[in-house]
Amino acid sequence: MSAQAQAAEAEKPRLQRLWESGPAGWNAALTKPYVMIPFFAGAATAPFLTQFFVDNFGWTGGEFWVRILATCAMYATLALSLNLVVGYAGLLNLGFIAFFGIGSYAYALVASEQLHQHFPLWLGLLTVIGVAIAFSLIIGVPSLRLRGDYLAIVTLGFGLIMQELTLDLDRPPTLMGHQFGPNGLNITGGTEGIHQVDAFRIPKNLPLLGTAPHSWVYYWIFLGFLALCVFLLMRWRRTRTGRAWIAIREDELAARTMGVNTFKYRLLAFTTSAVIAAIVGMINAAWLFNAYPGNYDVQQTVLVFIMVILGGLGSIPGAIIAATLVTILPFLLQPLILYRYVVFSLILIVIMIFRPEGLLGTVSMRPRKTLGGTIELLTAETAIEASELPAVTDTEVADLEAASGAIVEDPEWKA
Amino acid sequence: MDYFLQNFPQQLVNGLETGSLYALIALGYTLVYGILEMLNFAHGDVYMVGGFLGAGVAGLFVHNGVAAVPAGLIVALMALACMGGAGLLGVGIERIAYRPLRNANRLAPLITAIGVSLFLRSIVEVQVSPAPVLVPSNALVPQTVIQVGSVTTPFMALALFVASVVLMLALDVFVFRTRFGTAMRATAQDREAATFMGIDVDRVIVATFLIGSALAGMGGLLFGLTFATVNFFMGFLIGIKAFAAAVIGGIGNVRGAMVGGLFLGVLESMVGGFISTAFQDTFAFLALIVVLLVRPQGLFGQPLPDRA
Repeated sequence: MSAQAQAAEAEKPRLQRLWESGPAGWNAALTKPYVMIPFFAGAATAPFLTQFFVDNFGWTGGEFWVRILATCAMYATLALSLNLVVGYAGLLNLGFIAFFGIGSYAYALVASEQLHQHFPLWLGLLTVIGVAIAFSLIIGVPSLRLRGDYLAIVTLGFGLIMQELTLDLDRPPTLMGHQFGPNGLNITGGTEGIHQVDAFRIPKNLPLLGTAPHSWVYYWIFLGFLALCVFLLMRWRRTRTGRAWIAIREDELAARTMGVNTFKYRLLAFTTSAVIAAIVGMINAAWLFNAYPGNYDVQQTVLVFIMVILGGLGSIPGAIIAATLVTILPFLLQPLILYRYVVFSLILIVIMIFRPEGLLGTVSMRPRKTLGGTIELLTAETAIEASELPAVTDTEVADLEAASGAIVEDPEWKA
Repeated sequence: MDYFLQNFPQQLVNGLETGSLYALIALGYTLVYGILEMLNFAHGDVYMVGGFLGAGVAGLFVHNGVAAVPAGLIVALMALACMGGAGLLGVGIERIAYRPLRNANRLAPLITAIGVSLFLRSIVEVQVSPAPVLVPSNALVPQTVIQVGSVTTPFMALALFVASVVLMLALDVFVFRTRFGTAMRATAQDREAATFMGIDVDRVIVATFLIGSALAGMGGLLFGLTFATVNFFMGFLIGIKAFAAAVIGGIGNVRGAMVGGLFLGVLESMVGGFISTAFQDTFAFLALIVVLLVRPQGLFGQPLPDRA
């Protein structure tokens, strides 16, 4: 950019500049503590707002809408976690929802009469995390060494295997005529799932949480966990790890050439995403008091994919907005409820063709020929933040170069 | 051991019959992957649409289990509708959903393909039938059971195997013996170089989708005639298994897909017969994972450079 163009740019009103910065710029502007903190604070008061309408205007949908909002927060967390693996690390994990199911079932098994165990919350959480890590390593270690396409098919197969296991493990498995386990062994409850799962034991004397209605409590738990994930991702974005993920996604060969251990970082993204999904599954099981196999079928993975793509790959606020839209839309369009998957799949196709970056995406999905595109993309993402910083330090430039896997040769940019 | 020896031939025959269907569908995956390096997730659903087209044509000519015109003619019309309809569907999908993204980010066409797959599945579910649709196969094909020694097989299952093998041989001849087949192989090897040699790459890609989808449509018809029922969800699992078969055989390799399909069918049948019927699919995918670990290029594939 020439000096004059730069000056002309600076003279434009701030909002116009922001508007013209495109999805990546909007995303950067929204991914800020001063946007996120008020957002979560406002969202946390939503149940009181519904209560206010119920009390003063005789509205009857109060409890119902709190439940929908809790579902929105749940899907937003799932979308963020899928975004971590698809949008940040560029891995097509099609068995994603299986990890949600693994979390639900792991918690349901240690906190119900199914195995006569009633673990306290912290121990249940550790179990869920441990099981999720174990499964993600079993799947990730072999398949992440392979080409990306194979990961898609291995994870898809993994999702199916997990579904088959949950449906078939309501009786002792029989292999080659040998029965493993005693008669009447029932681990997963088959098509019935596991019922009467313990809710989290929240002390009654706790202010607010102790006395609030069940759905309110779980809405806040989902929202709190979402906020935690957003915080972690925002922090992570600027670390060595976050940059390594982006570098791998943009150009794996270049990243490897620059000394990025692609396998390690991919596995880290895969496992982190699995753990987040499993914890969401655990909260869901405690909220609904059950783990039910129908909640974890492949359709659900596609639904979360639609949220990620609609929101934009790599975008945190996009994932939250899209998850809310996709969750609420069927309730607003009741007559079209049968057609929801038709509509959602059309949305997915149309977005990919006409606006592949979604609402706020930071990943360029458009045809590109040059390596320079990668640099432009990374600089566009940081442009707004850079304009607020006193100066871009040399180490940051170096980091950026390392992340993009190419060497910036543009003197104007460096200066 | 006696039990094994007695049942082995029967399981082998069952496996070859299922496997030939896997192979027929796997060919579509492998052809498209060979040329575009993309997983066409919608392929299994094209097969499903083929099955429904066959059921629809059969419904026009068969009333109350009685065929209005000679059964052979109806089956021929069904084959025409299935192959033609599915083939055109495949070409349409390529034109609308994949071509605009041909040079885009690698993830983009994959995600679109997932969308197309969900679209086909849900539109058939909502518009055609959420419940399985019956195919009046007892009015169309002989229901005899053939017995050779201790091995029995329904006539139609054998016909499925024979028809699949004939189609595969025809495709093999087309790909390896004709001028257009040579153009396809050249495009698969290096798209840019093929362009320089004067090959119309777009035409090759359209033809690839046409052939692959027509084979899948024929698979849908054969499935419908064999099992007398089609449903909107039938393409999903078989699509994944056919893909697994293509990978086992070496993705992009036409003959590999055929062998991979038969191998997977036999493996599944053996697992079902001798290990556990409940975990048949689990073992099929474990086989896929083991093949990927031990020999990522598949049984017959060339070692591929890792595409960045």
